[in-house]
Amino acid sequence: MGVTCVTQVPVAEGKSVQQTVEMLTRKLELLGAEKQGTFCVDCETYHTAASTMSNQGQTGKLMYVMHNSEYPLSCFALFENGPCLIADTYFDTLMVKLKGFFQNAKANKIESRGTRYQYCDFLVKVGTVTMGPSARGISVEVEYCPCVIANDCWNLLMEFMQSFMGNHTPGVPSVFGTKHDSIYSPADTVVQYMELFNKIRKQQQVPVAGIR
Amino acid sequence: MADGVLSPGVNLEAFSQAIAAIQALRSSVTRVFDCLKDGMRNKETLEGREKGFVAAFQESLHSVSRDLGELERLSNLVGKPSENHPLHNSGLLSLDPVQDKTPLYSQLLQAYKWSNKLQYHAGLASGLLNQQSLKRSANQMGVSAKRRPKAQPTTLVLPPQYVDDVINRIDRMFPEMTIQLSRPNGASAMLLVTLGKVLKVIVVMRSLFIDRTIVKGYNENVYTEDGKVTDHATTALLHYQLPQMPDVVVRSFMTWLRSYIKLFQAPCQRCGKFLQDGLPPTWRDFRTLEAFHDTCRQ
Repeated sequence: MGVTCVTQVPVAEGKSVQQTVEMLTRKLELLGAEKQGTFCVDCETYHTAASTMSNQGQTGKLMYVMHNSEYPLSCFALFENGPCLIADTYFDTLMVKLKGFFQNAKANKIESRGTRYQYCDFLVKVGTVTMGPSARGISVEVEYCPCVIANDCWNLLMEFMQSFMGNHTPGVPSVFGTKHDSIYSPADTVVQYMELFNKIRKQQQVPVAGIR
Repeated sequence: MADGVLSPGVNLEAFSQAIAAIQALRSSVTRVFDCLKDGMRNKETLEGREKGFVAAFQESLHSVSRDLGELERLSNLVGKPSENHPLHNSGLLSLDPVQDKTPLYSQLLQAYKWSNKLQYHAGLASGLLNQQSLKRSANQMGVSAKRRPKAQPTTLVLPPQYVDDVINRIDRMFPEMTIQLSRPNGASAMLLVTLGKVLKVIVVMRSLFIDRTIVKGYNENVYTEDGKVTDHATTALLHYQLPQMPDVVVRSFMTWLRSYIKLFQAPCQRCGKFLQDGLPPTWRDFRTLEAFHDTCRQ
């Protein structure tokens, strides 16, 4: 597991989500990347149940339970600014047992699915973010496998992303700022996905004509 | 096998007696079976024959048990051959009975003697060549003419403690590089060099000379082969050569290796970019330690 950057690519003017994804994948294939299957990252939201909230009326915390096909035997559970737990896949059934404390907000389930490409030591995943039946955006994840220190290879990653994303290259992700030379872990990737999904959720609530 | 060397545990006298006892045991067992096979013929009455047969049979069985007891006693005296097989794994090769088709052991010995001689000659040659300096001052010539080329110390056979000391000193020189030394198979040292959180390098040495290197990423499985940086490291170990002062060689190799700590951070000095065909600058110049892409270094 190397350093990963997750970012959103805005839909191109006048084109649909599908077409923008195709443009990106074509650019990748021109570079020389090979398709290596598919990936899926999904996120479910849980509210802390009303009965457990104290009388001071704290707002319930949101807990996200995410899965990443890159780590198929794991399940990630995290709070927005809090710790991230990496657990077994049985965690999902545990959540069912904890129905009294955490309630599933089924309408908020969001996922990103797409193809996985490999280019030399880079793994690129271009996916369509969907919430329910509608496609809401495009996520791109770039991983540089040999390096495990986040801040070391940011310039390298950025140069690679510029070669196929052009102007849409993002800035340094916020997780990198807190890492300071510790080893990058899968939990950091999942945190980046959570932030991306939250951003997309807050964006367009009304589907734009171009998405159809 | 252990031809001239007598291991202290083996009692050769008892050994030869034990071999004789085995022969005696074999013959008495053969006698038992012969007796069973032939039976008794030279007595007239049936009873006489039976008694004679039983007596002969009992006597041959007694002799068998006596010989067996003697053999056990002697085998206790023989003792165990010492566990330290002096030839380690290569000695096991010499046990191959089919010497004609696979003369591995003799070829191995020849290769070893040849490389020793080569090293010795290289040392002598470099000593002689160093004396013939290119300066033409008379002083220098006079001094060197008096000196006989002295027999170079065989740097191939260094005590392992010395090698350990050299490696420890180099380890302390560079804070971000840790060197672990182990000797898993015999006398050659194997170093595991961890460079910050970037690379792991396995260096196999033969006394103080570097034989082979393998370079792996920090979280890669150590037993699979790698590509570019391993090739560069092998080139480096061939480049840094000095028969007289192998510790200088090891030190310069480690300094070169240490420049890889910025493998992902340094752009190529020639083209200014980080990536070329998806690879970072993997070449480090031997003198200036600058980073270049493999294709940019020409």
